[in-house]
Amino acid sequence: MRKWFALVVVLALLVPLAPGNVSVSSRVSAQGNTFTFGEFGNAVALDPAIVTDGISFRVTVQGCEALLFFDGSTTNPIPGLAESWTASEDGTVWTFKLREGVTFHDGTPFNAEAVVYNFERWRFTDHPTHFPEQIFEYYAYMWGGLDDDSIITSVEATGEYEVTFTLSSPYGSMLNTLAMPMFAISSPAAIEAAGPAYGTPAVGYSCTGPYKFVEWVSDDHITLTRNEDYWGEIPGNVDTIIFRVIPNAAARFAALQAGEIDAFEQPNVEDLPAIEAGENTYILMRDPLNVFYLAFNYRIQEFRDVRVRRAISMAINRQEIVDAFYPPGAVVAKTMVPPSLWGYNPDVPAVEYDPEGARALLAEAGYPNGFSEVTLLGVDENNMVTDEVVDVIPLTLYYMPVQRPYNPDGLGIGEAMASYLSQIGLNATLNQVGDWSAYLDARSRGELLGLYQLGWTGDNGDPDNFLGYFYTNQPKPSEGYYYNPEVDQLLRQARTMTDQAEREPIYQLVEQMQHDEVARLYIAHSGVPLAFSSRVSGYVTNPLATEHFKFVSVN
Amino acid sequence: MAKYIARRIIEAIPVIFGVSVLVFMLLHLIPGDPVTAILGERATPENVEAMRERLGLNKPLYEQYFIWVGNILQGDLGNTVRGNIPVANEIAARFPATVELSLAALFLSTIVGVPLGIISGIKRNSFIDTLTMFGALFGVSIPVFVLGLLLIFLFGVELGWLPFVGRLTSGVSIERRTGLHLIDAILSGNPRGFKDALEHLVLPTITLATVSLAIIARITRSAMLEVLNQDYIRTARAKGLKGRQVIMTHAFRNALLPVVTIIGLSLGRLLSGAVLTETIFAWPGVGKWLFDSIIARDYPIVQSMTLLIALVFIVINLAVDLLYAVIDPRIRY
Repeated sequence: MRKWFALVVVLALLVPLAPGNVSVSSRVSAQGNTFTFGEFGNAVALDPAIVTDGISFRVTVQGCEALLFFDGSTTNPIPGLAESWTASEDGTVWTFKLREGVTFHDGTPFNAEAVVYNFERWRFTDHPTHFPEQIFEYYAYMWGGLDDDSIITSVEATGEYEVTFTLSSPYGSMLNTLAMPMFAISSPAAIEAAGPAYGTPAVGYSCTGPYKFVEWVSDDHITLTRNEDYWGEIPGNVDTIIFRVIPNAAARFAALQAGEIDAFEQPNVEDLPAIEAGENTYILMRDPLNVFYLAFNYRIQEFRDVRVRRAISMAINRQEIVDAFYPPGAVVAKTMVPPSLWGYNPDVPAVEYDPEGARALLAEAGYPNGFSEVTLLGVDENNMVTDEVVDVIPLTLYYMPVQRPYNPDGLGIGEAMASYLSQIGLNATLNQVGDWSAYLDARSRGELLGLYQLGWTGDNGDPDNFLGYFYTNQPKPSEGYYYNPEVDQLLRQARTMTDQAEREPIYQLVEQMQHDEVARLYIAHSGVPLAFSSRVSGYVTNPLATEHFKFVSVN
Repeated sequence: MAKYIARRIIEAIPVIFGVSVLVFMLLHLIPGDPVTAILGERATPENVEAMRERLGLNKPLYEQYFIWVGNILQGDLGNTVRGNIPVANEIAARFPATVELSLAALFLSTIVGVPLGIISGIKRNSFIDTLTMFGALFGVSIPVFVLGLLLIFLFGVELGWLPFVGRLTSGVSIERRTGLHLIDAILSGNPRGFKDALEHLVLPTITLATVSLAIIARITRSAMLEVLNQDYIRTARAKGLKGRQVIMTHAFRNALLPVVTIIGLSLGRLLSGAVLTETIFAWPGVGKWLFDSIIARDYPIVQSMTLLIALVFIVINLAVDLLYAVIDPRIRY
């Protein structure tokens, strides 16, 4: 009897193990040189025009090319599918000479008609392949809107390999924006053939780049293969690229150690030393192109006094926050614009951590004992804050419920901030609203009534993408009703200028103005670490995260 | 019997309807929507409104509901909001992965849990009983991600015995027939694929099975204890039956009802998403997908998946009830 049961138990334990015992590291691939990148999630879609997430772009960038590229590890635009270009004197007409002899992965030729087709598809909601259920969000966001709102008023084929763009007004970041991965050119024939299925797992993409789409198994992997007909050079030796989904960061690290993947983005900060010290692993840092900030909601009467804002700014020890929570390479922020980006003002001074001085300023503003409740003011139909007192509410510090590259730990940083504030007598309640979607919803409606965390990751390496996006069309609820008409006017002016040398001082002036008025608290710019197996070489990081694996070699 | 099944199916209709209304309402009433989730930091009242209009999210709630139900009745589960991919395809791609892992975990927890429970019941307060019950307590208590990561680092990284990423090694493929890799590999005569799929299944199965194994062992033990105290067991022993016969035909058979119930419930629980196990082992099933879709407010996915889960529970409950009749001849339908 006992023997019988024991046998069952032992068998039960052995059955799943029976054919096991294969060394993982001995697994060989039959697909030539394979580079496997560990992803934290599934791609959304592989039609670059309709996606907004980094995971999807990391795939499409390997195969889909835009008129311009970003140069190596910089945000400078260089020739891509367009070889050269000229702009009219007033900056509203741009003519691009296209590269000849380029074919799409489906074999159809790349030419001016294909460029026109793509731009019209993105822009016109009545275009036959601008499917209503697809979201061409980035076109609307970067080019002022869809249909008649678009600042590109026409894109014409003025030759077989020449396209001419006409703009309604000059646009300072024209070239940088054209280099963004969502404005990559897809094969019109492939889009027509697949219809709304273009970019889905069953179809993938068809563009001009160095790697062609092979297969996509949802939440498992995406495979790309070297395009033997590629028009340009592929400096690396990778034949097959595999993106493997491994959602858990610790499991991604384990997979790197076990040789299941060759690289992944954003390891846990606490794993960095182990990866760095590992015999077969190393770290590369992507330069910061983001900012983490703490914003004021200007409907809070107390925050309308610059002395209170400055006191709060002086009470928070930014350096300590960066040291405690951020990966190496992160720096304390002085302005909205990261130091690596042109337009950054190096003369804006850092805010000194000075709780004594902060207390004195608060006393001067009439709050010698600090406060834990604040006064909420009303807003009128133009989003202007009025003098009407609506309510008295607890002083609240809203912290982000998710990790972002610019904010590794919303709650941890929130608790640190609240404790700094308590040292000057400000007793803030911590609140996360709900999940990320709920948080963003409340923020866009201006309903984060207090101090709130948020940040930004740059899209195209132009300062307008940092300052212009936030501080034009004021006041708006999504920016806490911040109102400085002079800043608004300066940023609009800079946006329509095309000479970088003329634009730069304007952005620098705005940064100084915002520093002087303590518009909001800029906290940190964070680099993003990437972990690699030592068999990988040649990876070039880019602050925009649009990294081309064509430079990668594996051995 | 057929009449009973028919009645149960008819009874399920209002349940499914109720679930669909409830989930639809809950999803749309909580703050946030797919638009803010897509736009992220770029969300402003204006572009949120414009996108809501394009996606039809500003229509009255009841209208959105009936559009969705109308489509479902025509066999169209809709497309994902992000990426515009047919939901039905995505479910078909992921559900078999969850089914395979769930069945493996159920198999393991049953063939280990039931015998352990029986032994513990018979040898009450013995060393093996204490050990089993301690193990069961441990199994229920240990957080899934701790166990999963421990197994990964021990068997995956340190020893290098077993893979721990996904269902197959890169480059290995199995012709799809049912979507269950083990079965497909047998059907298509692919021993390499079978071996690879089985190896990938081991660690996630152990991780996922731990909790249900512990529960099954405990329930089996208490059911056995109860039965073993009955008079008819004493009678059986008194009339000179062998120990094994008493245990298996008299005691265990009568202890089976609660055990079958708990096994059925476990399967439902496993199928409705082993979020943590799937996350740690990068298992491309529905659990993590559903979780992410809730965060992203991808309504069509969440709504379709909820219906599917409701259906799964209804079917399993029906199957368990039918099994009762097989086990206990006094139950007739």
